[in-house]
Amino acid sequence: MEKFIGKSVKRREDARFLKGAGKYTDDIKLPKMTQSAFVRSPYAHAKILSVDISEAEKAEGVVAVFTAQDGCGEYGVPCGWQVDFKNGETMREPQHPLLAKEKIRHLGEAVAIVIAESLELARDAAELVEVEYEELPAVTDPKKAMEEGAPLVHDQWPDNAAFDWCIGNDRADVEAALATAHHVTEVEYHNQRLAPNAMEPRSYIADYDVNADKWTLYTSTQNPHLIRLLLCAFALGIPEHKVRVVSYDVGGGFGSKIYHYTEEALLTWASKEIGRPIKWTSDRSEAFLTDAHGRDHVVHSRMGFDKDGKIVAHLTDEFCGLGAYLSTFAPAVPTYLHGTLFQGVYTTPLIHLNVTAPFTHTVAVDAYRGAGRPEATYLLERIISKGAQEMNMDPTEIRLKNFIPPFDGVEQPGYQTQVALQYDSGNYHGVLKRGLEMLGYEDFRKEQKEARENGRLLGVGFSTYIEGCGIAPSAVVGALGARAGLYEVGQVRVQPTGKVSVYTGAHSHGQGHETVFAQFVADKLGIPMDDVEIEHGDTEQVAFGMGTYGSRSLAVGGSAIVKSIEKILEKGAKIAAHKLEAAEGDLEYAEGKWTVKGTDKSVSFGDVSLTAYVPHDYPEGLEPGLDFSSFYDPTNFTYPFGTHIAVVEVDPDTGKVDLKRFVACDDVGNVMNPMIVDGQIQGGVAQGVGQALLEEVVYDEGGQMITGSYMDYAMPRADDLPMIETDRTVTPCPHNPLGVKGAGEAGAIGSTPAVVNAVVDALAHLGVTDLQMPLTPQRVWKAMQN
Amino acid sequence: MLSANTDVLWKMLNDPKVLEKVTPGIKTLEAQGEDSYKAISEVKIGPVKGEFKGDLALKDKVEGESCVVVLDQKSKMGNVVAEIGMTLVQKEENQTEVQYTGEAKMSGMLARMGQRIMSGVVSTLSKQFFQAMEKELQDSQ
Repeated sequence: MEKFIGKSVKRREDARFLKGAGKYTDDIKLPKMTQSAFVRSPYAHAKILSVDISEAEKAEGVVAVFTAQDGCGEYGVPCGWQVDFKNGETMREPQHPLLAKEKIRHLGEAVAIVIAESLELARDAAELVEVEYEELPAVTDPKKAMEEGAPLVHDQWPDNAAFDWCIGNDRADVEAALATAHHVTEVEYHNQRLAPNAMEPRSYIADYDVNADKWTLYTSTQNPHLIRLLLCAFALGIPEHKVRVVSYDVGGGFGSKIYHYTEEALLTWASKEIGRPIKWTSDRSEAFLTDAHGRDHVVHSRMGFDKDGKIVAHLTDEFCGLGAYLSTFAPAVPTYLHGTLFQGVYTTPLIHLNVTAPFTHTVAVDAYRGAGRPEATYLLERIISKGAQEMNMDPTEIRLKNFIPPFDGVEQPGYQTQVALQYDSGNYHGVLKRGLEMLGYEDFRKEQKEARENGRLLGVGFSTYIEGCGIAPSAVVGALGARAGLYEVGQVRVQPTGKVSVYTGAHSHGQGHETVFAQFVADKLGIPMDDVEIEHGDTEQVAFGMGTYGSRSLAVGGSAIVKSIEKILEKGAKIAAHKLEAAEGDLEYAEGKWTVKGTDKSVSFGDVSLTAYVPHDYPEGLEPGLDFSSFYDPTNFTYPFGTHIAVVEVDPDTGKVDLKRFVACDDVGNVMNPMIVDGQIQGGVAQGVGQALLEEVVYDEGGQMITGSYMDYAMPRADDLPMIETDRTVTPCPHNPLGVKGAGEAGAIGSTPAVVNAVVDALAHLGVTDLQMPLTPQRVWKAMQN
Repeated sequence: MLSANTDVLWKMLNDPKVLEKVTPGIKTLEAQGEDSYKAISEVKIGPVKGEFKGDLALKDKVEGESCVVVLDQKSKMGNVVAEIGMTLVQKEENQTEVQYTGEAKMSGMLARMGQRIMSGVVSTLSKQFFQAMEKELQDSQ
């Protein structure tokens, strides 16, 4: 039987994607379906003086116009994570209304929805809604939001803080160690705000069936069950068993489609009001304004070293903007997904991070590919490289001096960090060694020296990152403020003919679950891949699920499926033993059949499956059927790691950065499909390079977004990137049955600091020690002139 | 530089009929009080084009010398609030230099799509304004 684990099996889903036959929400057309358009605020902060919908209601083709006065969703959409103040005060959690009632708190906040027979008519009528505003001063910068006298986002609280938080060792101990350190390196920067820019914009169709008294919500989400729970139990207060949430193909999420958005809830509410289906698809402008953004940390950090370059202490203060309302996972991102990674891959004995998280007059900030870990990695990898530069050390030498020694988590125990987590397994020397081989480090330094003599500016930058995936276990995240569990569900249904349907609560929005999951299911059952189908994205098919984010699908969702496969094989063995008239203990399962050890007597998986459903001659007391569901709650996060190396050349006349090479040696544990892992790393690297060189959401002083289109928001394109050179080492995860760690975010986490470090290295001889992202030619050129 | 003395220019700038004619994009200009007008205009700013409605007022007037034009215009693509200071400096007989400086605050789609090209738009619009003024001067002679 052909084996599939570890092979670059081509993606099954690509056949439909490449033919343009994917089924995205916006492709769905229902009978009697209406279209909708939102009236959105042109101000970041304003009082709503009046809303006049009379002209819009009279316009051609208009079915209904709703405002906050119509009583839609009195609860608003909820936040899924609670982080309280250090002094014990409860997190300040404002109501997040579906439509703004009295006050506007961010640019693009919706004031009214216009529902009409066509999109054009809805948009035309939306222009007829007259809203009178009184504009108020706004604050968009997280640090300025905490200054005395800053405009308040929510008037009921004395300042803009939603919470503050710290992690690590006692601050006084860290301060003391810094005071006596041989050398202290300091960085101050803004980890800039990013727009997620999934290729498919958000899209929803809410369909209330009057006769069945049931709703179906088609939504471009990463986690349909979670949306159903939040929608029913919090936003609208409707019975969960009356709602079906369907998420067929989704064109990228990167975190931005985890959250429960106001539009989803509002459409669901309005569909019952009008008794017809309603569609809304965001246009690109609305996406810039209303999709939850990423990053936005204002950072001040100091790292102390002894005379040999060993880190003695690390102290950081951050202001992390949350936006005007708390998005679903927003409080977790700058805290538990961020501070817990401050150990990095280093033996730093003293660490302290202090976070102040204010509201600002901007759209919400939440998880974006990496979610808190790219921000942690950027800081660690920048400051250690800057430390090396200041102490005249090689950036690889300083890392080697500080690396945690290799441990496999089996023979050697996991590594207990200063910031709560225990790493599962790691070999940080291994990935750096391989990365340096791939690069040809010594040769590069020679080439760089020669280039400098000829007036060319070459640089190399390193990032030896670690990240935490598959956040778990539920009891621990619950204690840390999560309002949901973080297990996953996997159901394996063997059909009477031995064909297998697998239902996973994980969700694919580009990752390739339909292929990868089928690979290991086929291998574990010893059947052809063609006999396995992976189903996901429909709450009426899949029992439950937590969805896909945090690189969790294979590590958590895959493990749940493995548990169900084990149950299938256990029950199958009982049936096989009965058929073979042998003791269960005498059987072995391989190549899709049970064989009596040492004989040629065997029964196939297909025969056993049929017997399970046609139980005429059947073990006494055993239930018919072969269908098991499992919930898998991991015992720990997984910790992938790697070495990313960027080689750049800076144009001495213009400051333009040319990324010449990018080497990524990652360790994501066992690999199911190398092609797909390569693709994930490449895509992630492209996003990380985008942050380093090109991307930034900019709000002006008044809260207007001045980068609200692709004219001003620069996305990475093919010609901004070299061929990304990938390789891997393999350090299996010791605590899940597949030994996998996750690869979805690694590229975006590791790459950004490597690129910035490389540009600083190229300009080091000119006295440049730091640069603010994105490294636009103007900024780089200016730094060269000083 | 316009071919008139400051007195003539001052009168023109205070005459709504002239302003309606020479200001680019203006469709109607209706007096609603002393130095205060209701204006409807159509302007194209880069990719954004639309009808603006709102107020136009003159303030801080120094007879024959200077004034500030205050614009508060609303449109479906966003709103503009602008203050344009104008100073007339007579260089020689029938040759007056008009110095102007301004600040505009935009919101909505205008701010997102229009900001980066605003300075170009402003210079085009001012050029059109002064060309029209000069033509008006020639025609009235």
